[in-house]
Amino acid sequence: MSEAAIAAVEMPTVADFARVFRRIQTEVHKVIVGHEQAVEQLLSALLAGGHVLIEGVPGTGKTTLVKVLGMALDLSFNRIQFTVDLMPADITGTRVILSADGRREFSFQPGPVFAHLLLGDEINRATPKTQSALLEAMAELQVTVGGVTYPLAAPYFVMATLNPIEMEGTYPLPEAQLDRFLFKVRLGYPGERDLVRIVSSTTGPEQAGIEPVFPAGEAAARIEDFKRLVREVMVAPSIEQYAARMVRATQPDNVRILGSERSQIQVDAVNRYVSFGASPRGAQALILGAKVRAMLDARANIAYDDVDAVTAPALEHRLMLNYAAHTDNVEASDIVEQVVKAVRGTRG
Amino acid sequence: VKIAVTEVSRDEQKLWLILFQVKAIRARLNSLAVQRGLFWTLALMVGAAAGIVAAAMDLGPLTFLTIAAVLVALATAGSIAALRSAWLRLASPARAAAIADVRGELKGRLATIQAVAGGGRPSSLWPYLVEDTYGARGQFEPSKIEPRWFSRAAWAALAAMILAALLIPGAIFERDRQVLMAEGGGLPATGGITADINNLDIRPADPALAPNAEVYADPATLGKLRERLAQEQGAGGALSKFANKARTFAGELQDEITGQRPQDQPPVRLRLTDRGADQYASGGRDSNKPPSAQADARNGVSGGLSGGDAENPSAQQQNGSAPDSSMGSDNPSVGGGMSLPDSQTAQPPSDSQLAGDGGGGSEHGSGTDPSSLFGAPSPPQLGADSFKIAIDADPSDEASGPGSPGYLPPKVHAPLNSTQYPDEPLARASVPSVDQMTIKRVFER
Repeated sequence: MSEAAIAAVEMPTVADFARVFRRIQTEVHKVIVGHEQAVEQLLSALLAGGHVLIEGVPGTGKTTLVKVLGMALDLSFNRIQFTVDLMPADITGTRVILSADGRREFSFQPGPVFAHLLLGDEINRATPKTQSALLEAMAELQVTVGGVTYPLAAPYFVMATLNPIEMEGTYPLPEAQLDRFLFKVRLGYPGERDLVRIVSSTTGPEQAGIEPVFPAGEAAARIEDFKRLVREVMVAPSIEQYAARMVRATQPDNVRILGSERSQIQVDAVNRYVSFGASPRGAQALILGAKVRAMLDARANIAYDDVDAVTAPALEHRLMLNYAAHTDNVEASDIVEQVVKAVRGTRG
Repeated sequence: VKIAVTEVSRDEQKLWLILFQVKAIRARLNSLAVQRGLFWTLALMVGAAAGIVAAAMDLGPLTFLTIAAVLVALATAGSIAALRSAWLRLASPARAAAIADVRGELKGRLATIQAVAGGGRPSSLWPYLVEDTYGARGQFEPSKIEPRWFSRAAWAALAAMILAALLIPGAIFERDRQVLMAEGGGLPATGGITADINNLDIRPADPALAPNAEVYADPATLGKLRERLAQEQGAGGALSKFANKARTFAGELQDEITGQRPQDQPPVRLRLTDRGADQYASGGRDSNKPPSAQADARNGVSGGLSGGDAENPSAQQQNGSAPDSSMGSDNPSVGGGMSLPDSQTAQPPSDSQLAGDGGGGSEHGSGTDPSSLFGAPSPPQLGADSFKIAIDADPSDEASGPGSPGYLPPKVHAPLNSTQYPDEPLARASVPSVDQMTIKRVFER
């Protein structure tokens, strides 16, 4: 279809979406070298209205990535360094006694959770109680302190980093919290060429300047528009079934969990290594991620390939592996790969 | 307002065109599915029918019945599978759209349009999707999505027809050739087949076969045949009756299929001999021999019973009467569809015709000296029960002469490896001299 024809239809923002998305990517890559896929997944999660768990070894630019994103979007940005002695009130905020006009009264002091972009650095170093303080904020975009509920400003995007090594003194994230992250993004060590670029760009006198993509004060509204647009992308019933089948295939054949209705597709690795599979939030993540990909391809509908492309970031962190998987050195990514292979054969 | 209406109308037109193309694709896919089912069914039916006709032409009743049943079962099962496969291949509108999406690389556009147009959730991106898909309509033209009009299964049907066209005329030709050979001298006009009654597996006649054989034998042999038939008939149970019914059914079916009448088939002429009786006769106990066997023994002929009968009026008389009175009346279809001849048709062949039929018996009477009575004996002929052993023998220089020691094979020294010892037990055995005397004494004792 010609550009003129696309522009003539009622929804020109389909083209805008891809253009803005690429523009944000460009700004981020002024500082972040490599990690193209991670950046794309991060932006997809933002525009799909989800949150992201970033896993990577130290020094791979996790914190820098989130900071740069905040600068490119020109949104309010807070960072919490999770430690073992961090308390929930340190995140959500607390009521303090303030004196005004000779009177003392409780006043709510918002915590760092009140920002558009929140970076929770090394979230697995905090206790589960503190980690859970984010649950309400992530799921419902609100915080309740002292019986009073405070709404969070949209867009609200939590990026939590996980350090897969140095596991001493860490607390694995509760399954309920893991399930609330739309994607899990992995950051690995850069290659030699990228490493050279990182060294040359970060050790010189000049730092790369990040320009905001949106005009001042419009970023939040524009991002919310794009999020609404993503939700308008249409999905054929057969593709919804495909996503549902994908999620069902990650669940082991266990009557106690699945009930009487067995999954149509049985994957040996799932039955052997998975204790609990993906929840319905996994299916939602698949469809939302696929919608963003469809928009990037200037389509108003999603395809099977869009779903396949987001299975790894959307499902890997939702699989609870059993002891046999650890002893056999089986990763969640291996299992998701097998699930995709098995389900791909059932396309309508 | 006018502009808006026009745009809506144009969008609807585009949507209608898209859905029309999807319908056309669906029609073509379903046509191919139906063709596939029909052609495969036709191929299986024609193939099975050809096989049944060919089997009816060339095979016996029970074999024909078995093969026909198997072919019918296979054709039925195959046809059901083919029709079921065709049914499963029938495409719904959504499936046709999905197939077009894959083949036209449309990334789910058509499936989405089909679903949403059928009452899906409305979306603000709907006009965009319609416009986008309409722009790509060249990718999902029916001729591009499915270029074939005819299913490949048509080749299977064609192959089955060619097979039938080759198989059935071939079988008819083979049948006609056999009839012509029999009628035109391919088979001997008289005499036919000579068989020993002891080597025959005799059972009651196949009811599916019309009596179409003439049996010649001396009365004693015919009596023996009658006894054995009576035994076989007595042994038949419910299973035998069921088999007979099956044979009858198969025979009638074969006649229906081939259009062949039983009287069209050339008669089979069978001469029965009783070699056991001849041996009995040559054993010297002449008082217990049947008359025909005695005549045979006197003439030194035992293989051809009819030859003996020709010179034995009594035997000839019995030969002419016994089949009519006993075999012909009690068992009208004795011996696997054979009809016993009456006295005129049961005339045995002449001696000259029997010249080569003497292999079954000895040419000399037992206990006589052939060198003094009939000159030099003819070399014994090997019958069907005999065998030959071929021995290769060559002259050797090491043959032992009178008084010389027997032949000893030379020693062969095979190369040994490091862990083996030469096979010289005496050299390796060291017996002390004092013990040698003891050993010698023990062995001398």
